[in-house]
Amino acid sequence: MMNNNALIAVGVIIAIAIGIIAVFMASGDPDGLESSALVVSGQKDLTGLSPEDGDAETVGTGSYEYTSPMPDYSLGEEMGSTGGIIAIIIGIIITLLVVMGALYAIRFSKGSRS
Amino acid sequence: MHIPDAFIPLPQAAIYWIIAIIFLGLAIKWARSELNEDKIPLIAVLAAGIFALQSFNLPVSMGTSGHLVGGALAAIVLGSPFAAVFILTLVLIIQGFIFGDGGITTMGANILNMGVIGGFVGYYSFQAIIRIIKNTYLSAAVAAWLACFIPALACAVEMAIAGTFPLVPGLVAMGLYHAIIGVIEGIVTAVVIYLLAMARPDLIDSDTGVVTT
Repeated sequence: MMNNNALIAVGVIIAIAIGIIAVFMASGDPDGLESSALVVSGQKDLTGLSPEDGDAETVGTGSYEYTSPMPDYSLGEEMGSTGGIIAIIIGIIITLLVVMGALYAIRFSKGSRS
Repeated sequence: MHIPDAFIPLPQAAIYWIIAIIFLGLAIKWARSELNEDKIPLIAVLAAGIFALQSFNLPVSMGTSGHLVGGALAAIVLGSPFAAVFILTLVLIIQGFIFGDGGITTMGANILNMGVIGGFVGYYSFQAIIRIIKNTYLSAAVAAWLACFIPALACAVEMAIAGTFPLVPGLVAMGLYHAIIGVIEGIVTAVVIYLLAMARPDLIDSDTGVVTT
């Protein structure tokens, strides 16, 4: 049986491997929701291919805009797939640390209460 | 399935946020009572893995791609739908704020769909199915398919309420695409549970029927 540290190490390595494969292999087609948006706005047939220049957000009604530091899991066009790999590794590490931090914080608060 | 900001008007987005916060509160309560030192690494690693899987858009034909959600996986392995709410909420916050995947105003709706609905559908359908077919991996795969498909329909209904999609075409498109994405979700969920059962059977919820050695 694997100990906790090995579980984290193996888990993170697998996650990073998936992330790196995703940078090169991920489909450029719009996801299920965006694709549905193209269908209902008449830019795409239900079972047809997606248009190259389709804009899923034309169906939108909201007005709020937020610009994230690493949009679309990339560091911008000029960084290419290297930027994608860096972004995904940063994301995986942040997720691991944030979740661990949150869990230890919850545990600590439990300890101090009882 | 990550809803961008533009797709839901603010007053409705606020309602989904309120629902999401209530469930997040319950999820924190779950973590406070169920958590032990040994589970922390597993939950953190599951979250990191779910983050990675969600970044991987797989082609599902018909000009569409899809990624896994992971709600059923988290709920089944950790034995509570609130585990899915907890993990998916944190993953969605990171995706939204740092990577622009899913909106900020619509984050509540995304937490509701993927974390709450995905987690509850995944957990309770798994509990029901395993009683009938007695096979952990097949039950997990079917539950994961449902936990991808049902949230997609919920999302289509929310889009209809928002006035973004017409109801029936929205349901058909979201249902069709996520029925296919769900097949991949089912297979990956079963494989991950199998791998975890090999590595650390002691950490997996006993209701899964994975024998602790």
